Amino acid sequence: MVAAIKQPGWIRGALGALLAAAFGVGLVVILRDISGLPIWQTEQTGYPHVVVPLITAPLGFLAGFGCFDYWLRWAAGMPTIPEDHSQHGAKSWKDYFRFNTDHKVIGIQYVVTTFCFFFIGGLMAMMIRAELAQPGAQIVEASTFNGLFSTHAVLMIFVFVIPVFAGLANYVLPLMIGAPDMAFPRLNALSFWMLPLAGLMFIGSFLAPGGAFDAGWTGYAPLSTGAPLGQSFFNLGVQFAGASSIATALNFLVTIITMRAPGMTFWRMPLLVWANLSTSLLVVAATPFIAGAQFMVLFDRVLGTQFFQFAGGGDVISYQHIFWFYSHPAVYIMMLPGFGIISEVISTHARKPIFGYRLMALALIGIVVLSYTVWAHHMFVAGMSSWLRVPMMFTTLLIAVPTGIKIFSWLGTLYFGKIHTYSTAMLFALAFIVTFTIGGISGVMLGMVPIDIHVSDTYFIVAHIHFVLFGGSVFTIFAGVYHWFPKMTGRMYDEKLGRVHFWGTLLGTWGTFIPMHWVGMDGMPRRVSDYAVQFGDWNLLISCFAFILGACQLVFLYNMIVSWRFGPRAGGNPWRANSIEWQVSSPPPIFNFDEIPRVVGGPYEYGVPGAKHAIMSGEGAEVSQPQPTTVGSS
Amino acid sequence: MESATVAMGGHAHEEHHGPPEAHQSSRIDRQTLGIFLFIVSEIMLFGAFFASYFFLRVVVDPPTWPPEPFELPVAIAGVNTAILVSSSFTIHYALESIRRNNRTGLKLGLVLTWLLGATFLFIQINEYVNIGFSARDLGFGSIFYGLTGLHGAHVFIGLLLLSFATIRAFRGHFGPEEKDHLGVEVPGIYWHFVDVMWIIVYTAVYIL
Repeated sequence: MVAAIKQPGWIRGALGALLAAAFGVGLVVILRDISGLPIWQTEQTGYPHVVVPLITAPLGFLAGFGCFDYWLRWAAGMPTIPEDHSQHGAKSWKDYFRFNTDHKVIGIQYVVTTFCFFFIGGLMAMMIRAELAQPGAQIVEASTFNGLFSTHAVLMIFVFVIPVFAGLANYVLPLMIGAPDMAFPRLNALSFWMLPLAGLMFIGSFLAPGGAFDAGWTGYAPLSTGAPLGQSFFNLGVQFAGASSIATALNFLVTIITMRAPGMTFWRMPLLVWANLSTSLLVVAATPFIAGAQFMVLFDRVLGTQFFQFAGGGDVISYQHIFWFYSHPAVYIMMLPGFGIISEVISTHARKPIFGYRLMALALIGIVVLSYTVWAHHMFVAGMSSWLRVPMMFTTLLIAVPTGIKIFSWLGTLYFGKIHTYSTAMLFALAFIVTFTIGGISGVMLGMVPIDIHVSDTYFIVAHIHFVLFGGSVFTIFAGVYHWFPKMTGRMYDEKLGRVHFWGTLLGTWGTFIPMHWVGMDGMPRRVSDYAVQFGDWNLLISCFAFILGACQLVFLYNMIVSWRFGPRAGGNPWRANSIEWQVSSPPPIFNFDEIPRVVGGPYEYGVPGAKHAIMSGEGAEVSQPQPTTVGSS
Repeated sequence: MESATVAMGGHAHEEHHGPPEAHQSSRIDRQTLGIFLFIVSEIMLFGAFFASYFFLRVVVDPPTWPPEPFELPVAIAGVNTAILVSSSFTIHYALESIRRNNRTGLKLGLVLTWLLGATFLFIQINEYVNIGFSARDLGFGSIFYGLTGLHGAHVFIGLLLLSFATIRAFRGHFGPEEKDHLGVEVPGIYWHFVDVMWIIVYTAVYIL
């Protein structure tokens, strides 16, 4: 027992969480006592007795779980072994539940955890659609409904879409650039373990007195500053999710800049690497703004500051400015890694080099720069300074240009390509191009001030966001998961079930979100549990398609679980792809490579005679025999 | 095999069980680049609070700033600024000392820096106690405590990092080789950032 307490792990983690929570409560009690305030006053003061432990307990858990052990030893000047690999790699499933520094283990931890939250958030979507199937209140109360759609959005955005990309990239990016691991493996593990804590905080808000946070995922002040306790769970969960994604982004940037294999110049990097480079730039420079905004809301709620209180000399609109200065770049954080995945999948399965490779990379950088200049297009009706409207409209429309470049480059890649659709990944990639283009065009419509004013806060917005986030980001996530599933698990998924999942998802997405455009144009308001009877038929149709969409995800779940356990062995390179991660076994060896590969050409030279991307170890120029690609041992 | 061996620096013939050494594809080392990127992120966090400052002062535009009964102790904070700025020189002295393998200078520089930083923090807390308004007093009070408090938190983190470096210095770590004193250099870069950021905060909050 004593040994179990000393050993980093779940027991010590739980103990650390308890101790830290007790410390947090004690701190509040002592500080209130010193200041002469009533000790147990809760509701009027924003529950400091809950909020402070909510900060300390997760930190205590992380410390107990072993996230800081090495650093503390280092900081205290104790002997440390930098080349200690005892926490690296997974021998059994239990190693996935430990503090593990292997980027491949962390990648799988990320993807599995985020998909858990995807299914929880999806269940909430089903409840929302069930309530909306008919006008009037049937299943949930109005306030619960508000909590449901807020939590649905927050789970999907902060603990599914953003981190699942980090997970996929965690797995494949170091392999792609020929690195043995990420630059900071321990920081990588810490960033992962902050994520489930954030997700649990969001879900745990349902237990708070007053219910889950219900001010939408945007949490606009003053709605959020006056909301019940659940809102503080949101404020703090965002801090943990944000810290996690900043640390990961920093890790990606340092890995990409300092750890590329010899010969891997910037213009030879696969576009997924470019995509993660630009996404990480966005995360590092934008995420602190949402951290700042949520801190200020928390201070207003708990400390009684006046940041957003009109009566106290605060500025209400400033919340939206600060929030959207992060959250508009955030939509590209949720999209750019997907662009990278699509480039990989399309080029591989069309057997053609990417059309306009350099322009593709530059378009990513263009989006990064422009995305900082468009934030106020979310605020056309918010009462901000009216002179800001037209400049923001221009920049918003301008950002369609680099995005359009990418769309046309994918089409150029497909043009006269030998398009293979035997992989579900390619089906999702092709469907992504169409669906995302529609979502992008409705985005251009929304960028125009008069149309935006007409459809603000209607289902047109809901339709747009789901077309770009579900038909866009989630399609690319599915493409990525199917594409790298053989690499990650060493097994093939069931292609038939993949097809069922694909067609069901496509039908469900279009059936659900296309009609939302019409009802939105007709003025059905979003974020309300009841609506006018005239929208009843459309909503019933939408709900039916939504249930189809939901049911199809169960097929995906079944396919992934069963194939992971029982699927046929996959070769090292089932898609005959060029990039380095496919030149090693599936799953890759514990340290990725015996020797760092040498890069000698571009990553997409499909169909170019004699072209080669990388020379792997044991495959020197003088060796004429090609290395067998099927190394199926796990 | 042979060609790859050259690139690897000749390790291939030994049986090794650890990972292959990563190829260093940039002149900058990981830790230094990491702290620079972290500082970018920190600047943006300050940016969020400066944005709020801009709105509360320029957009809301209260008739006087600071609002009528309140006053800011510009002179005391000025002395405090001088204390913090001088600590930038002492940390630089510590780093230069270890570069020349002067261990006494390293320890002296680190301890001095730590003491100067702690003095800064102590004076700032004193200022909070005696300043006569709280974070609840108007947008002005909120953003004053927001900006200076955020900065104070950064000084605290900086002191924590410096403590680590100091403990290690006294336990005989660090050396003149570039890679052997990253544990001083990296917290040092962060400390310089904290200093420069204070000059900006001081200028914006106290002087302008």
